[in-house]
Parts: sequence; C-alpha cells; structure tokens
Amino acid sequence: MQDKPITLKVLDIVSLILLGISTYLALVFAPTELVMGDVQRVFYFHIGTAWTALMGFILAAVFSVVYLIKKDLKWDRYQVAAIEVSLVFFFITIVLGSIWARPAWNTWWTWDPRLTTAAVTELIYIAYFMLRQGIDDPDRRARFGAVYALVGGLSAPITFFAIRLFRTIHPVVIGGANAEAEGGFAMTADMRVAFFFALFAFTVIFVDLYWNRIRLGNLQEKVEQLKLKVTL
Amino acid sequence: MFLQTPTPDTSGYMIAGYAIAFITMALYVASMALRSRNLHQDLTTLQEMDKSAREKEAAGKQSGR
Amino acid sequence: MAENVERTTKTHTADRGSRTGNFFKAVSAVVWKDLQAEFRSRELFSAMLVFSLLIILIFNFALELDIKTRQSVTAGVLWATFAFAGTLGLNRSMAIEKDRGCLDGLLLAPVDRSAIYFGKVISNLAFMLIVEIIVLPVYSILYNVNLFQAGLLLVILLGSIGYVGVGTLLSAMSVQTRTRDILLPILLFPVVIPVLLAAVKASSGYLTGAEFSEILLPLNLLIAYDIIFIAVAFMVFDNVVEE
Repeated sequence: MQDKPITLKVLDIVSLILLGISTYLALVFAPTELVMGDVQRVFYFHIGTAWTALMGFILAAVFSVVYLIKKDLKWDRYQVAAIEVSLVFFFITIVLGSIWARPAWNTWWTWDPRLTTAAVTELIYIAYFMLRQGIDDPDRRARFGAVYALVGGLSAPITFFAIRLFRTIHPVVIGGANAEAEGGFAMTADMRVAFFFALFAFTVIFVDLYWNRIRLGNLQEKVEQLKLKVTL
Repeated sequence: MFLQTPTPDTSGYMIAGYAIAFITMALYVASMALRSRNLHQDLTTLQEMDKSAREKEAAGKQSGR
Repeated sequence: MAENVERTTKTHTADRGSRTGNFFKAVSAVVWKDLQAEFRSRELFSAMLVFSLLIILIFNFALELDIKTRQSVTAGVLWATFAFAGTLGLNRSMAIEKDRGCLDGLLLAPVDRSAIYFGKVISNLAFMLIVEIIVLPVYSILYNVNLFQAGLLLVILLGSIGYVGVGTLLSAMSVQTRTRDILLPILLFPVVIPVLLAAVKASSGYLTGAEFSEILLPLNLLIAYDIIFIAVAFMVFDNVVEE
C-alpha cells in the first residue's frame, strides 16, 4: 500500500478545520432560538449528518446497479464504504433528533414518518452488514450485498411515503396547524449562515471519511488476495 | 405571546448532543485507524511469508540440481 | 459457458411462442415439484399452521383481547401472525432446495432462472394462502369476528404476494449464508414494512366498515409495491442463484 496521497492528507486537515468552524458557528455565532433555547443548536449538526447520510445511501443504491451490471469488485468496495460512513452519520442524526425532541416535543421519540423511516433505514443497513458477515466468498458477498442494498434503497422511500400518506388521513397528535408547536422555527440570517456552513462542512467531512474508508477497503482486498496466494 | 415566556434553559441537552456527535465521530475514526493498522500488520506478515516461501522454493530448486 | 452459448442459440432460433411455453412449463414444474413434495411430507404446512395458531394464542394473553380492543387490533394481530409464520415457511422452503441439491439441479436445467423465481413464489404463496385460509375461520370462531369479506380476502392476497415476492428473493440469499437460520427475518422485516403497513390499514378499514375511498389508498400502495418489487426481484434473481 502506498502512503496516503497528499490530496487526502490535505482533505483530512481541511475537514478538521471545517468541523471546528462549523461547531463555532453553531454554538457561538448563531443566536439562541427563543422558544426552544440552546437545544436548537443541535439542529445544525442534525441536518448536516442527515443530508450527507441520505446522499450516501442513494449513492450506495446506484453502486448496486453499477456492480450488478459490471461485476467489478471495485464498485462493491465503494458501496460498502458509502453505507458504513452513512450508517455512522445517520446514527448521529437520529440521536441528535431524539435529544432535540425531548425538550421540544416533551418526548424522546414519536412514531412520526421521519423518525420511523429513519429507524427502519438504519435497521435495513445494519441487516446489510449482517448479511455480508455471513458470506465468505467475496463475489457472492458483493452480489448479495448489491441486491439487498437495492431492495432496501427502494423500500425505504416507500416506507416514508406510506407512513406519511396514512398519518395525514388520521391526524397526528404532534403538528397541528401551528408550526411552533411542531418545533418549527423561522431562521434568522445568522442561523442560515451556520446552517449552510454545516451542510458544506459535513459534505466535505463525509467525502474525507468516505475516501479513507475506500482506501481501507482496497487494503483489505489486497490482504485477502495475498492470504489466498500464501495459503495455496 | 411567545416573546413573553422566558427562553427555557436547554443547554444541558445541547451539550449532551454535541458530546455524543463528537464521541461517535471520534470512535469511528479510531476504528478505521485501528482496522487500517491491523491490516498493515497483516500485510507485512503475509509479504514476509510470501517472500520466505519463494526463497525456500528457489533454494529447493538449486539443491535439486 | 458452452451450455450458456447453447442456451442462447437455442432461444434465438426458437420461435417466441414455444419460448414462453417453455417458461411456463418450467415455472409449473417447480411449483408442481414443491406441492407434491409438500403433499407427501406436510412438514412445512403443519409447522406454519401450528406456529400461527400459537402466535394467536400468545397475542390473546399479551393483549387481553376483550371485545373492545379486538375491533382495533384484529388486523394487526392477523398480519403479525402471517408475517412470522411466513418467514418460517420461506426459510424452510429454500433450505430444502439447498440441502437436497435441488437448486443446483434446477440451475443446470436449460431454463431461464427467473422461472425458478416465479415457481418458488407461486408455491410459497400457495402455502401461505392455505395457512391463512385455515387461520381466518379459526380466528373468527375464537374471537367472534366475521373475517370472511371479499375485500379483506383481496387485501390478504395482495399483501401475501408482496410479502412472498420479496421474501423468496431474500430467502434465496439467506439460505446461502452461514447464519441462515436467523438471518431471513432480519433481512425481510425492515423491507416489507410498507406491505405490512398498507395491509393492516386496509384490513382494519374493511373490518371497521370504513368508506372505500379510505381503503383505496393502502390498496393502491399494495399493488404498487407488489409490481415494483416483483419486477426488481425478477431482474436481480440471476445474481442470487449464480454459482
């Protein structure tokens, strides 16, 4: 394995700096939200991680199709990397959302469309890794992984729409006409700066982690092949 | 109406949230570093094994002649 | 490889009519084989049926199914029962193929792989529907609710198609893993949530006598899910059984 490319090293450092700036903007620069207080500040990281994780999951579904057509293990490694990083980010999203919901909605969890879909999505991709763990042959592991990521990636948005459709027919306890009661709020200009910067920062951090994870996958592949060669 | 109610102090939740976010990210980076280190170790061991196997083979051939 | 070439040339020269004829012949061969084997042993069917009845029994204690709550939870109890019993059947049906080497035999046969998929879907669906048809009157008698409504039966059919369509694909994968005894429900349940959701909504709509316009939405969702996922499974099934 060659040493880290210089671009990646730079990206590592840039990601750390961006994370620092984004934290500063979220915790200090943005004004305190009047109704909810300081807890609203988790919103910036919440959205940042959610956006990148969803992009990662969509990317993984695309890699599924590409792998099933091209049958090149490279695409499988891209997919695993995308799903793993997204899974970590989405975990942060869910936990932050739950922490925010406690003072805002007075409950850690409600079964509303987004929360439920988030939990189901997280479970789908955990199942994805459990499936892969049970298979030794790399080609079969890649094929099954691609099939499951495709099925899961199609099912998650349908789950979301299904829950939303049925919950709009039967009104939910939370979220009447009043947006404030729902925990919604109007963003000031400073909040918007922190918001968009968090989106940008997490996109860069995601790319950086993703790149590192792909390199790890490549290394793993190399070790596995050498292992085969030595044992033969 | 909302302006009259004092802003609640929810900083405890905020701190907990950011702590969890940073800890999770740190743990993930650490796990990647750990996995990478283990793989590099495996790689060097395997490369040595491969090398010694090839040397043995070569030596075997020479003595056979 | 040579066999593949032979197969493609064969299908190219064969006219369209006999090709679809061959496909249906292969599908019905798979279905027939499954049904015959099951008719002789009855192990899958009896396990699914007894398991379903036990689940209903457990729900009786867990939920205190008195007359009032019965109305609202019947649909949920039924679908939870079908879902659990369904995994049992799907797992077993694929495991038999794997253990007896039937799958390898089928793969060697010069038929389209998707014929195997449709054959397994139809036989799995048949087992599931038979179990459901027995569970429904038993539930009706035990809890004194009339479950024999045309609409409800349609919902059960559509829901079972979606469940089995995805379940057959995923069970074909899960039986080829090391953790095959426990993996199927973990893979299947998170992706069939739309089916269960829509089926429960539509079923309870019929049971509580809701207006048809309210039931139409979950029904449409069930149909859409069935079509999308059977189409996807049909396209990717090759990758799941390739050796």
